[in-house]
Amino acid sequence: MKRKILNCAAVGLLLVSLLFGTAACGSSGQQPSAGGNGSTQGSADKPTLVVVNWKDYGSDNPEAVQKFESENNCKIVHEYMASEEELLTKLRTGGVGKLDVVLPNPQILPTAIKEGLLEELDTSKLSNYPNVYDKFKKLPESSMGGKTYAVPWVWGSTGIAYNTKLIKEDINSVNVLWDQKYKGFIGFRDDFNDAVMTAAIALGQDPNNPSDLNAIKNKLKEQKPLNKTYWKTGDEWSKFFANEQITVGLMWSGQSASMKKAGQPIKYVVPKEGAIGWVDYWAVVKNAPHKDLAVKFVDYMISEGFQKDWVSKGGPAPVNKVVADSLSEDFKKDAGITEDILNRLYFISYHDEEVKKAWNELWQEVKAE
Amino acid sequence: MKKKALLVSPAMFILIAFAVVPLFIMLYFSFISDGGVPGFTLENYARFFSKPLYLALTWKTIKMSALVTLISILVGYPMAYIIAKIIKSGREILLLLIIIPFWSSQLVRAYSWMNLLRDGGILQDFLAKLHLFKGGELGILFTQTAVIIGLVHIFCPYMIITSYMTLEKIDDSVLEASKSLGANPITTFLRVILPMSKAGIVTGAILIFVPCLGSFVEPRILGGVNGSVIGTVIQDQFFEIYGWNFGAAIAFILLAMVLVSMGVMSAVNRRGEENG
Repeated sequence: MKRKILNCAAVGLLLVSLLFGTAACGSSGQQPSAGGNGSTQGSADKPTLVVVNWKDYGSDNPEAVQKFESENNCKIVHEYMASEEELLTKLRTGGVGKLDVVLPNPQILPTAIKEGLLEELDTSKLSNYPNVYDKFKKLPESSMGGKTYAVPWVWGSTGIAYNTKLIKEDINSVNVLWDQKYKGFIGFRDDFNDAVMTAAIALGQDPNNPSDLNAIKNKLKEQKPLNKTYWKTGDEWSKFFANEQITVGLMWSGQSASMKKAGQPIKYVVPKEGAIGWVDYWAVVKNAPHKDLAVKFVDYMISEGFQKDWVSKGGPAPVNKVVADSLSEDFKKDAGITEDILNRLYFISYHDEEVKKAWNELWQEVKAE
Repeated sequence: MKKKALLVSPAMFILIAFAVVPLFIMLYFSFISDGGVPGFTLENYARFFSKPLYLALTWKTIKMSALVTLISILVGYPMAYIIAKIIKSGREILLLLIIIPFWSSQLVRAYSWMNLLRDGGILQDFLAKLHLFKGGELGILFTQTAVIIGLVHIFCPYMIITSYMTLEKIDDSVLEASKSLGANPITTFLRVILPMSKAGIVTGAILIFVPCLGSFVEPRILGGVNGSVIGTVIQDQFFEIYGWNFGAAIAFILLAMVLVSMGVMSAVNRRGEENG
């Protein structure tokens, strides 16, 4: 009898682990690691600046790191984040007083500022700040109570891309995603933010504060049967596009530009109705161990030298106007980073948990139908 | 008895530390409000049952898992029978071939199916060469059929292995006895082989049905616009909006359903044993 119970328990546990083993996929773990190693190692007296960013996202480029290190006689150490939420958790649990510079986005910036996790910035100490587009400085998330806490760094958009070999007409409206003509060849994105905001743009609602979620839901349901599939990762889009399974769809400015560079017949447009825009910000952590150095680093990140170098290596659009002006018009058009486009973007703003929950549920309903 | 306990303890420790404790942590989370309001709440569970969406997706997932299990039985059991009873040599190689796919990641296999099944893909080319396919589009990828194919490929080996293990144990002399007593092959199969190997089928079915309920990789990649299942909803909760509490609640509702269906299955099994 006892054995039977034990057996039952063992089988039960096995089942439980099976169920959760498949339900919980491992998100890629990340570990703090030194960026720009080599030449500067072994000098313990140099100050060490701790930077938190995404992996392989500009600031940890070895050449860029080395340049800053030698100019300022310091050492840069990168810690990587897997999500913005993780960065917020890092700041809340011991990051203050330990980390120097971090990259929060508008989804967590207001929370981080409110909780006193970030240092107020004196923008007059940033020599390159005057060159940053005013449009970004005016976005509400980077400041609170008239004080600035974050500096815009790079930006991009999510608009429409299409195959110029197979589609001869000039597409300039978001309504192409609702066009019966392209039924079975459209690739919409599987992302609740992109879905809700794009439908709001098509309906003429404010994408950041949509007035009628029901209309948005119906608009998305109407769009659903026209798709080949919903794509999730950039890699999926590339494959479907190359196979001509998808000929038009929602796409990122950055990836379209690099696909065009690789010889794909792709054209990126920001529709006349507008498109979704995003910005990444740098911020200095409250009580940063090397505050002055941290400010210098942020200044370096928005400098002409760094921004020009990164965009030429295929990075996202620079916020530095001088750099943007120095790029050729053709390049800017392909990459969707002209000033005209910039003015047509709706930058994703901060949404609280309730809004996110509602949008996500709306999107689940559309997908489940 | 003491010795036994000592021998079991490492396994028990691993199970408790890595399955039972995390499970209770999840259970705890499922009773906490997503909005950060402190204290015990049932709102996550209430939310699941208040929207038709979640129940509809759960039902869809159960049907899908049942179909995958059924197909796996129809494909896997005969395969296991052939390996165990009909062929005389090369069993090890066949079993190895069945196990080899386990060595590559589920994600890679899903992507491989995408290339095979897509319009203008490998399968379409192959069929065209055989003159079985005449123009147009294949239309398999991004449908429920593609999801079922992908899942059967992942899970069928469980059925083959568990069935093989029970079939192999059946003594050939029992089959000969059945024959000499005048039973035809069908009667022998239905009254001797099937009852003696039923345990393997049931175990295999459980090993397939349960993880199928939680699957999300194949539905998402192969299912296209209609790829939503309850597993993808749970995944979105955890990775898109950090709704861990609601995600945990859905997972527990699913677990409760699994345990109930297991109870039913084992009751059926026991009754079968008593009658047989």
